[in-house]
Amino acid sequence: MTATGNRLKMLRIAALVTALSYAAAARADDPAFNAAAGITAVTGAQVYQHICQGCHMPDAQGAVGAGHYPKLAGDPALVSWEYVALTILNGRNGMPAFGQPVSQATEFGAVRLSDSRIADVVNYLRNHFGNRWKGNVTAAQVASLPHPP
Amino acid sequence: MQEDFEAPSPTRRELLRMIGITAGGSAMYQAMSSLGLAAESPYLGPVDLQSAPKGASVLILGAGLAGMCAAYELRNAGYRVQILEFNGRAGGRNWTVRGGDRITELGGLTQECRFDKDLYLNPGPWRIPYHHRAMLHYCKRLGVPLEPFVQVNYNAYLHSSRAFGGKPQRYREIKADYQGHVAELLSKATRQSALDASVSKEDQEKLYESLREWGALDKSNAYVANRAGSDRRGFQKEPGGGLNGRPIASVPIGLTDMLDSKLWSGISAGDRFDMQPTLFQPVGGMGRIGEAFGRELGPLIRYNAKVTEIRQDDRNVNVTYEDMSKPGTSLQARADWCLCTIPLPILAQIPMNVGPTMAAAISAVPYVSSVKVGLQFKRRFWEEDDHIYGGVSYTDLPITVISYPSTGFHGAGKGVLLGAYIFGINAMDFTAMTPDERVRKALEYGSQIHPQYHGEFDNGVAVAWHRAPFSMGCFGLWTEDARAKHYDDLCAVDERIALAGEHASFIGGWQEGAVTSALDAVARLHRRAVAQGERA
Repeated sequence: MTATGNRLKMLRIAALVTALSYAAAARADDPAFNAAAGITAVTGAQVYQHICQGCHMPDAQGAVGAGHYPKLAGDPALVSWEYVALTILNGRNGMPAFGQPVSQATEFGAVRLSDSRIADVVNYLRNHFGNRWKGNVTAAQVASLPHPP
Repeated sequence: MQEDFEAPSPTRRELLRMIGITAGGSAMYQAMSSLGLAAESPYLGPVDLQSAPKGASVLILGAGLAGMCAAYELRNAGYRVQILEFNGRAGGRNWTVRGGDRITELGGLTQECRFDKDLYLNPGPWRIPYHHRAMLHYCKRLGVPLEPFVQVNYNAYLHSSRAFGGKPQRYREIKADYQGHVAELLSKATRQSALDASVSKEDQEKLYESLREWGALDKSNAYVANRAGSDRRGFQKEPGGGLNGRPIASVPIGLTDMLDSKLWSGISAGDRFDMQPTLFQPVGGMGRIGEAFGRELGPLIRYNAKVTEIRQDDRNVNVTYEDMSKPGTSLQARADWCLCTIPLPILAQIPMNVGPTMAAAISAVPYVSSVKVGLQFKRRFWEEDDHIYGGVSYTDLPITVISYPSTGFHGAGKGVLLGAYIFGINAMDFTAMTPDERVRKALEYGSQIHPQYHGEFDNGVAVAWHRAPFSMGCFGLWTEDARAKHYDDLCAVDERIALAGEHASFIGGWQEGAVTSALDAVARLHRRAVAQGERA
């Protein structure tokens, strides 16, 4: 928890502790939320390290058991940012959808990522783990894709 | 209220809130007690599989409870049965981890459990409600002894890191005080004629009377520090014998503090249909059921068999599998019919010629992320120091739950706690850690509730269900939309193949769902087999 821990420490804002205690689901990119917190952004790396790597593994090599988690390092499918963003938004096979509206996302266990968080992690994936794909995706571009109902 | 209070490690939690949306505290408590829909089991008794066609065969994929109860019934009815199982053991998610067991998760990290004899963690299911009649039936038939599982413990804690200076509160205090305050307020409203529009005068008198009983109010229907209240919430000094035995009443938490704390959201956890007493657990761990089925079925189960393809034609079902002990091998199994209980995230990746509707259904159900951590301590301090015998404490910390063993009370040796039972974004975060980190985090958070953690910790194991090679997730997460669109297609027999498991039930995440779905699927396969047998 060294490098990550330090990065997280920099982000720590005490106001959040009370502001968000037991809060009902709120948009993570809610401007008021960010303003109160004084935070610029959560990085794509952080989204990857706290969510994606649980399955795709810290080195993005995937894993194989009775089934498999796809390897994202060197995955040619990442040439298409739309493919990556749509997969995160809508899920694929057993992978959960992270783009569900709040009404669905607050159901048991589901997690929702905002369009800007998805853009962050798409950009991260397409430029790490040996992947080098041109183009920076914006939240507006992610917003233009079909989201789950 | 607690400006100066600082949670020891809030950064991770803040970050997770920023990353994504997660249920708030009250929703969390509800989610914890809500594994799917609280539907009553449709189990009506042993399945009737009379007149099985001579020589008919069924291939079953997966030796979890769904697959094994199907195999057990089909075999008894005269079918030729074979099971292919990925693991080297029977049970699937019905699983108990004990000292000496090795757990290798996806990604390759291996833990060796170092629990003492008779101590265990149930990484998956851990309780059986009294109305899960199919489960109770099979426990009885297989001779698996049961004991009570303590769900509600009035002396366990409700804890918020942001209320009462982070000091955990006893469940009985929160429940008694919440009920007392609400009763007093409603009494006042009744006396001030605020309910005249909705309650008749006669009913108001009865209501007034009943509120005194329900809220432990005094003669003037006030909730105060007195004997009646302390009989619910506990005493400042408990009654005893002799000269020193005179009790001192305790002082209730004020209404504002109570409401601010949000701890009321933990009161109703045990009121849910599937959490109401009496609940059971198998003596020695939930895995005893899978182990008993495994013994019963013996050589019918082929272990270490990884299914790689499922093909049906108008005569047979052919399944290709790899013997995991001889990597690269490709073997075949064939039968007239197939019952497939493979978890959907895995099944969605296996080539299989079923119709488009079943195929779409298989791909439509992601699995819930969940993590459990078992912690062994050098002594049972929760009993010795805190007087907590079984039951569950709930917290707003990421660990969500601390559960105390419902067995081995007053044992002199070590004890194992369930130190975390996590869903949602915190479960994803814990899954992304190494097993050691998960244990360390569970200790760090749990020590805020039980400071004894620091001195008494011995060792621990952590199971993240998305890292389980045989399930790739905890259980099927059906949204209402997905259920409306795909559920019937998932359950319908496709030519010679039927699916079963908790994912094919309305009792999602419960073993009862797995077993009743298997019995339902088997009955429908049987009807087809009989019809075809007569045609031939």
